[in-house]
Order: sequence, then C-alpha cells, then structure tokens
Amino acid sequence: MTYITKPKFRHPELEQNARGFTRRDYEGKVSTLCAGCGHDSISAAIIQAVYELDLEPHRIAKMSGIGCSSKTPDYFLGASHGFNSVHGRMPSVLTGANLANRDLIYMGVSGDGDSASIGLGQFAHSIRRGVDMVYIVENNGVYGLTKGQFSATSDRGSRSKRGVVNHDAPIDMVALALQLGATYVGRSFSGDKHQLVPLIKGAIAHHGAAFIDCLSPCVAFNNHEGSTKSYDYVREHNEAVNFLDVITGRAPIKLDQEAGALAIVEQHDGSTLRLRKIHTDYDPSDRVGAMAYLTERAAAGEIVTGLLYVDPNAEDHHDYLNTVEAPLNTLDSEALIPSASALDKINASLR
Amino acid sequence: MPATITEREGESAGSAIITNDFVIKFANVNGSGSASANSLFAKCVLRMGVPIAARNIFPSNIQGLPTWYEVRVSEAGWLGRRGGVDLMVAMNPQTWAEDVRSIGPGFYLFHDTTKPLPPSMARDDIHVIGAPLTRICNETYADPRQRQLFKNIMYVGALAHLLGIPTDTVERLLQEEFAAKPKLIDANLHAFHLGRDYAQSSMAPIRLRLSPADKVGDRIFVEGNSACALGAVYGGATVCAWYPITPSTSLAEAFTAHCKALRTDSESGKAKYAVVQGEDEIASIGIVIGAGWNGARAFTCTSGPGVSLMQEFIGLSYFAEIPAVIFDVQRGGPSTGMPTRTQQSDLLSAAYASHGDTKHPMLFPADPTECFEMGALAFDLADRLQTTIFVMLDLDIGMNEWLCAPFAWEDGKRLDRGKVMTRDDLGAGIDFGRYLDVDGDGITYRTYPGAHPNKGAYFTRGTSRDRYARYSEEGAVYTDNMQRLLRKFDTAKSLVPAPVRRDAARRTPYGVVYFGSTTPAMHEAIDALERQGRHVNALRIRGFPFSDEVFDFIRAHEQVFVVEQNRDGQLRALLINEGGVHPTRLTPVLHYDGTPITARFITAEIAGQMKSIETMPVSD
Amino acid sequence: MVFEKVAAVYSADGRRSLKPTGEPDEHYECDDVLVAVGQENAFPWIERDIGLDFDQWDMPKVDPVTFQSSNPKVFFGGDAAFGPKNIIWAVAHGHDAAISIDKFVHGQSVEDRPPPMVTLVSQKMGIHEWAYDNDLSNDVRYKVPLVDKDVALKDVRTEVELGFDRKLGYAEAQRCLNCDVQTVFSAPLCIECDACVDICPMDCITFTENGEEEALRARLNAPAHNTTQDLYVSETLKTGRIMAKDEDVCLHCGLCAERCPTGAWDMQRFTLDITHADHRCQQR
Repeated sequence: MTYITKPKFRHPELEQNARGFTRRDYEGKVSTLCAGCGHDSISAAIIQAVYELDLEPHRIAKMSGIGCSSKTPDYFLGASHGFNSVHGRMPSVLTGANLANRDLIYMGVSGDGDSASIGLGQFAHSIRRGVDMVYIVENNGVYGLTKGQFSATSDRGSRSKRGVVNHDAPIDMVALALQLGATYVGRSFSGDKHQLVPLIKGAIAHHGAAFIDCLSPCVAFNNHEGSTKSYDYVREHNEAVNFLDVITGRAPIKLDQEAGALAIVEQHDGSTLRLRKIHTDYDPSDRVGAMAYLTERAAAGEIVTGLLYVDPNAEDHHDYLNTVEAPLNTLDSEALIPSASALDKINASLR
Repeated sequence: MPATITEREGESAGSAIITNDFVIKFANVNGSGSASANSLFAKCVLRMGVPIAARNIFPSNIQGLPTWYEVRVSEAGWLGRRGGVDLMVAMNPQTWAEDVRSIGPGFYLFHDTTKPLPPSMARDDIHVIGAPLTRICNETYADPRQRQLFKNIMYVGALAHLLGIPTDTVERLLQEEFAAKPKLIDANLHAFHLGRDYAQSSMAPIRLRLSPADKVGDRIFVEGNSACALGAVYGGATVCAWYPITPSTSLAEAFTAHCKALRTDSESGKAKYAVVQGEDEIASIGIVIGAGWNGARAFTCTSGPGVSLMQEFIGLSYFAEIPAVIFDVQRGGPSTGMPTRTQQSDLLSAAYASHGDTKHPMLFPADPTECFEMGALAFDLADRLQTTIFVMLDLDIGMNEWLCAPFAWEDGKRLDRGKVMTRDDLGAGIDFGRYLDVDGDGITYRTYPGAHPNKGAYFTRGTSRDRYARYSEEGAVYTDNMQRLLRKFDTAKSLVPAPVRRDAARRTPYGVVYFGSTTPAMHEAIDALERQGRHVNALRIRGFPFSDEVFDFIRAHEQVFVVEQNRDGQLRALLINEGGVHPTRLTPVLHYDGTPITARFITAEIAGQMKSIETMPVSD
Repeated sequence: MVFEKVAAVYSADGRRSLKPTGEPDEHYECDDVLVAVGQENAFPWIERDIGLDFDQWDMPKVDPVTFQSSNPKVFFGGDAAFGPKNIIWAVAHGHDAAISIDKFVHGQSVEDRPPPMVTLVSQKMGIHEWAYDNDLSNDVRYKVPLVDKDVALKDVRTEVELGFDRKLGYAEAQRCLNCDVQTVFSAPLCIECDACVDICPMDCITFTENGEEEALRARLNAPAHNTTQDLYVSETLKTGRIMAKDEDVCLHCGLCAERCPTGAWDMQRFTLDITHADHRCQQR
C-alpha cells in the first residue's frame, strides 16, 4: 500500500556482513500488501537470514506461485532473479530451475491456498523428490486476494470475518511434509523472528527438501475473534519445542551455558545447527516420534513450533539422479552434443 | 515404372506371381509376445533390400485385446498405408470375422490349423492356408509361456518358406538381436525351423513372393519418437520432464536410453542430463519452464490431453518469454478419444494454446529423419524465440518404425543460445531491459539467474510489465508489449523450416497442401492422380507461423486441397485465420477415423472434389 | 604582502587564540589583495559604574534565560548578549527578553516564566496520505549558485551568492526531515505485528523486554549511543514487552505509521507556540 520509495538512508552504524552488505542491501521493493500483514514480517525474516548467512543475493533464486504470499518475492532480495509463476505450480518450476543449475539457492515462497489447495499435488511431489530448496508456506488460513474465503488450512470451527464457520477438516502441511519425506521441517510464526530467522537460516543451509510452515496472520480477513490464525490466537496457543541457532561451518561452536538442554546437529555441508531445547524430551531427529507428538499436541489445540525434524545427512534430487557436479546450464556444445560418428553407429544399428 | 496402387485396385483372384508388392497383416492378441516376431519379419524383408512400411494397430490395453501389425511391402518405395490385405496372419479368434472380411478377393488367410476355421468365417473367394502351430508347440515345449512365444516365431518360419526369406538373413538378425543372450538365438532358430519345415513339407506355394532387391539403400528403420529423442540429445536438451501418456511415452524412454549411452560423463559416470517423471503434465511443463528460465534446454513430450492440461503454463511461457519445447505426439481426440489411434487434431489447441491472445510456433516433421532434425532445431528455436516450440508429430510417425533417410549431423555445429546477456555484457554497462527490443526483431535479451552480482536481475511474472520488467497494467505499456510479441512471431516465420514444394509435370490450377505423416500417402496419391491425368502442385508445410511462400502458393492456384487427419480442417482454419485466405479456395480433404491416411483415400477425395476449371492460373 | 606567522593556542577552558610564533615574517607578491575583516563585540562606551558587571572578556554578564544583566533594568540580546550568532537567535533573544521586561515592569519576578504552548495534531489524511510531504529526498545539499569569479573580483560590492532559483529552492526544501512531525505511539492499539519494525529504514523501532536504560539501549535493533537523546519507550504491551524507539536517527518518513494496521502509530505535527510578552503571559 505504501507508494513512496523507502528512503535510502540507513542507520549510520548498520553493520555489514562478511560480504560487505548491510541488511538493507537485501531488501526488495516496498510491499504492496496490507499494513500489518504477517507476510511482510516473513520477508523481513528472510532478508535477515540471508544477511546473517553472508550470502550473495544473486546466488539466490526466488520462486513463487500466485496469491498474497507469492507476491512477496518482489519485496525481498531485489538483486536476485525472481519468478512469480502460476497458481499452485511453484514447486514444479522450482524443481526445473534447480535441475538446470544446482549451484543456486532456491527459495520457494507459497501460501496455504497455493500449496494446500490448488498446488497440494505439486507441493507433495517436490518434497517427495527431495528437491534442494527452502519451501516456505506463509499460512494465514484464508484467501486474502479474493477477500476472505476459507483455505484448506483453516481449522474446523474457525469463524470467518463474515461469521461463517468452517466445517472442513484442515490440512496440516507439517504433518504432510513429514510423511512425504521432507528432511528439514519447521513451523514458526511471523510474529516471532527470534524463532523464525534461525529456522530459515537452517533451512537454507540444509541440503535437501526443507519445509517451513509459517503462521502469518491476515490482518484484513483473519485476525478477528474466532479465528485460529490471528496474532492473539497463535500467541496464546504457540508451543515452541525448541529454539534454533544456526552456525555456519566457519564459526566456532560456543556452548551456551545457560541452556538446559543443548543439541548440536552437524549438517552435511559442514554447517552446525545448535538447538536450544525447551521440551527436553522432544527429539527432532525422530521422524515417527515427531509425527506422533505433533498429532497429539494438535489434538490438544496447541500449535507446536520450532525445528520439528531434521535429517542432517539428507540427499537431494540431484543425488538421486546422479547428475554431474557442473550445473546443467553451464554445459556447452562440446559437453552436450555427441559426435557425428556416434550418430553413424546409431544409424547402423537401425538397418 | 513400378506398379502403383491404382493398378492393383480392384484386382481379383488370378494366378500371376506378385513380387515385392503386397500387404501382410498380423492379427494378434495384445501381450502374447507377437511384437518381436512381427518385427523380425519386417526386418527380414528390409535386409532383402525391399522397402516396407510397418504399422502397429494396437488397443489401449496391456493384455488380452486385439492388436495388429501391418506390413506393406513395396519395392516401389510407397511408404504410406495402402489399405486392404493380401495375406492375413490371423492369430486372434476374437477378430476372425473382421480379419477374414478385410482380405482382398483371391488372397490369403493364414491361420493356426490346430483348430478348424469355423464354417461361418468361410469365404470362397480367398485362399485359406495354415499350419498346426499350437499342436507343434505343445509337442515341443512344456512351458506354457514358451508355447505362446515360440508359436509366433513358428509362423515367421512358415512365412519365410512361403514368401522366400533366406534362412541366413533370419539367423543374422537373431544373432544381432540376442547378442547378449546366445541361448535365445538357438531357441528362436529352433522354433523358426519348426515352422519353416512344416511349410516346406506340407504347404502349397502362394502367389506372393519376396525377392532380393536393392531398394533400401542406407535407409534406417526407426520410430519417430526415438528419432525425436535423439534430436533432443543432439539439440543439447539436458532436462526432460514428462508424464506417461500414449503415444508419447516411448519418446521420454528413448531420451533416457540415448542419454545413458551418449551423455554419461566418462570419468565420473555421472549424468549430463536429468529426466523426471512428473506427477502430471502440469508439473512436467512446469519443470520444463523452470529449467528453461534458468538456462537449461528442457522439453516435455505428451499428447492432446497433456497439451490441454499444460495450457496455463504455455501461456506463461508465451507472455513471460521462457524457452520450452513440447513434443506433441498426437492421437485421436477429443477427450480421451482414441488413445492408440492416430490423428493430426491438436493443431488449433497447440497454435493458440492458453487463454488470452497467444500464438506458438510449431514444427511438422514428416518422418523420423525430420523428427531428428526438428527435434534438435526446436531447442535452438526455443532459445532464439524465447517461447514454447511445439514439435507436432503423431502416433503414426511416433510409434511406428519408418523407413527413412539416415540421421545426419555435422561435427562442430554449436548450440544457438539466442540473446543472452552475459556477466561481461552486464559488467560493461550495456543497458539491460528484459523486454526491451533493441534489435527490432521483437526478441529481447535475457539473463540467467546468478549471472552478475548486482546487475541483470529481474522479476519474471505472468502479469503485464514494462520493457524493464516492472509491473504495469497501463494500457499503452501492455499493448506495446503485445505488439512486440507479434513482431517476434513475425520473425519466427523466417526461422521455422520452409515449406517443400513439388510441382506437377504440367501447369495446373490445382494445388494441395499437407503436412506430417500424411506425406508418404500424399506422394503416392499425387502419382496416382497423375496417372489419371489429374495434375496437382503440392506444398508440404513444415512450420508455423506460415511463411509468405505458403500464401503465395495458395494464391497461385484456383483450387487448393488441404489434406489433413482431423475432422474440422484445423490446418485449413489456421491458413484462413493467419493468411486471410478466402475459405472457398481451400477444399478440405479430411481423414480422421484413427487409422493412418491412405493414398487410395486421398486420390479418391481429390478426384471426386476437383472443380472443373477452364482457365489456367495467370501466375505461378 | 607581509604575513606574521602565528600558531593556535588553547586556554584551559578550550578557547582558541592565535599567538605569534616569533619566526620571521613572510613576504608574498600579489596582484590583488582582498581584505576580509571579522567583527568583535566591544562595549567601551558603557560606563563601568552603573551596576553592570563585566566578565573576563570584558563582556556584560547576562542571564541566559532572562537576558537580564546584573543591572536589573538593563537587558541584552543578540550578538550583544553572548557573542556573534545568527539572526534567528537574535529574534529568539528578543522574544525572551521582552517577556522578562514585561514581567519586570509589572513588578513580577522575571524568573517565573510561563512555558510555551505545545500542540500535536495528527497528520493522517488517508490510507497512505499525510498532511505533510513524507517522501524523503535522497539528494545531498545543493550548492548555492555563485556569480562568476571574474565578475565578482571586479567589484567588491557585487553580491556573490545568487541564491536558489525556484526549482533549486524547492529541491533543497524537499530535503527537510520534517522534524516537527513526530511519531506518536499508542500502546493499547498495538497488535505487535512487527510491521513498523520491518519497514523502518533506520532500524529505530524495537519490541523487547523493558529494563534499565543502559541495558535497553544495548538490546535495540540498532545501537543507540547518543545518550543525550532520550529513548521513546511505550507502556507495557500485551506480550509483556515494550516498544522502544531511538529518536536520534528517525527520519519522520511516517512509514511505520503507514504500515501500522491499527493506527497505533500516528504522525503528529508538533507546534511550539512561544509565550508572548503581553497580557497572555501575565495570565498564566
């Protein structure tokens, strides 16, 4: 909604990361979403995460489908290529882009309409294939751009702004992602950057299909009394199982003396996830246990957040396809075109 | 001059020997292992230097339903479907009635005499011959599966004797086929001799003969789907995403096989390609567009129903200008239609795929050789034009082995990646506008993601935007872009393959346009018409958008027949729509029952619809 | 032209004076010499026995608030009061001195001064429209155009600074940071959605736990080292946190208020209505 350009001025003491960029250098255009939209906070969290990981913006590709959430890639990482594709089909476009160049980081941003309804199939299959990506669903339980219809993640009994009660069972994207074999699964809340930023950093560092279900209240259509996706409701029912601190390979591991239970997870690429546990008996490396725990807590009306599952030794789609190390889009004529004599042999075999 | 179908037409029982010019049809049960035996037969004929046209007529079924394999033997080299049957190898009781009915008077029915032919099937105007295949098999083999399989090889043995196929030809083929499994060579040869020996001892000679000729030359015998896949390999495709659908499935499978052989890195053993079986056609084209956006050459292969599902993405490719290649192996529509029958009925749904104003270039290969050439060319065109390129083949070309010119490639040929701004270009400060037409041909420069640290990034979207890829719904900005897309489509005219013209021996006011798998039947029909004193100039269309040459040809003739394999005259509709041709100039010749069009059909239609034209055309 | 060599010497209170170094004078040949003359306050004409005290610099002792000298009937203002400053200060001195004189002649204490009036008025006009121009200019200061050097050097009376024309003047004015427009926060309206934090170009808004100022300053999203500038801290919010804003770097762009879904942030124009030396200042 804001139409003026965001001032270029920045805090005089704004820090630079190892690449010499400030956090502001990772911004995109000013958001056109409604004031107070949770999605904008997620964009800010992505900016913060990428900044903290010292990534070069042009090494990231932003992919999205259609809907409020899918507009957001225009609002972060302005120096990255972005692709706002068609409704519900971001996962396939991302899969193709990833096949073409395995060296970039793929950030898929989608919504609950885009991924739980029209694109449920593509969501499922991209996770199944283990595409190396960060898949964030900005989950507000409502169709914002078409003014407030229930989405497939709306809880049964949730009341719309117009007073209609939702009778359909909700789709739990986290449960699906776990079942489908995602190797990094988290849930968070747009209003809690302390939890969300490290979770995104961990997902970026993760090699394999990383999925984050991020509750993101819709201020315009789903932030009222009776909604189960409002700021107040989510805050009241949020049960964080842990907080994450991502340390890249370069940084030394400092043990946090204050933490009661600390789990350190070394990822495939050498990065380290440091988990500060809140529920000491929650084990994020146990997929089956995570599924059982989540089902149980969901029945109790809790929204379990945190890093819910991680397989630090995960493989990705390229590993399964055994593709060459060099990105396919860099292979030249020399590498791709067989010789005329090879063709002669084929001809001979067809006579 | 070799015999043509017109001479043979209406021919009835006689005693003259017919050499190297007949149709033999095998009626089998799907899943009975007949395909390899039939293919062995076809290859034997080819090895004798006699051209053949072979076609599978198969059901949408894996096991139990009727399937036919029709081999047209034609020393004259006519490769279209002729129509009619001279020797029916009836191995499927379920279709006996139909099979017996299709045999030309005076010709042959070959059957398994283990069981007598039901009297109701009897025709006194045909010759019934046969061998007790099941009985011999049961006596020889204990295993039921072997009994089934070797029965097929046995009838090949019997035919080899009746028609005159040298045993060493069969031996050599079996040795090549089973080089890796020598045990199978002997087993097959044994069955072959069982059939051959029986025929030699117990069957009377027939009038149909094969005789070695030197008419095959260096031609190859290959399926269009495999040829397209090979073209994709030579065209530099690295990403294939597809969803199984008849008749395109074998294209993706062939690509995988070709890549395994030709695109495996010799040092690391890793793949220089990626093949993904999508969850549906939508995901498949999505993957292709994602890969194309990111600078890899990517394609999908599908058929009509798949093209229907891909519509939205094709529109995105058009509007956001992302290279993609779609091989549409057309089958009988609409809806599920006739999944295992052939048609050319996707032209309109491909040409104008997706909502809004769109147009997409199409290529029309006429045989596997062109499938290979256009299969490779499509990727250069997709990169040059930054849009979806359709390669429109059909089940007839795609799934049947055709005798065609060998594939040719010049070493040193380079991939044409089109207009791409590199890191250096961007670094040098060249103005980059993703949709800025700097050269006036409607084609704009693009950048690959990650090209430059701080230049050249843009946001790709299906919404309207300005020349610098900034979102805009301003009318003038939108129309500016839509007009440029038209300019680009105009540029495509000169890039797609030019039509091929074949002029009649005499000046004539009659023309015919045709494309794709109609070609061999069309050539035969032109020859037949000429014998009737009916001269037509012919133009084979190979690409869309149509070049000026196409419309010049139409304008130069009083009556132009448009021969195609669909009900609604889709090529004709495209000609009218794109060239402003008056509909009365274009006479539709339409064949759409799902079988490949025949020369007999075309000849009769054109002869029947020819208007009497007094004046010769002024210009040619 | 002959120059005497001097060096800067600083006294204990930091005042700078130039003292000859004792080195030989230096001679420079010149075509033209322009003499620039400074100015100095000096009151040799004031009798020293009228009850007016002078300080070490021979300047009258003046109260910085009332502008009254040690002789209650004598008031000073402008350059005469505290040395050379600009005209804006002189006018302000005049206003404050006038209040003192008004009080004095009415026999009231000059120390008992009524405060100025302050008003805060919301500037919100529409969903993203403000009664002030919040679109900040990123331009650097424009240079004032000067008369050509050749012309200026020919006549010492030539006005050298041409001043801004209409266009440049407008552009320069656009650089105004709208310091009079304040960000005003209303804690009960806040839903803690972080929209203001995310949009703020200067990182000056933080939602965090309350605490001692020093600790709080350290917890902000961006460091707030200027301790002379107070932090703007809200009442406790629903989650138990507070909003803390570092006013030191605020651009008054109003984006926090534009992105605020509930109107918890508002941009309000601050108007200072100074006390006037008339009956109104008497009544208060």
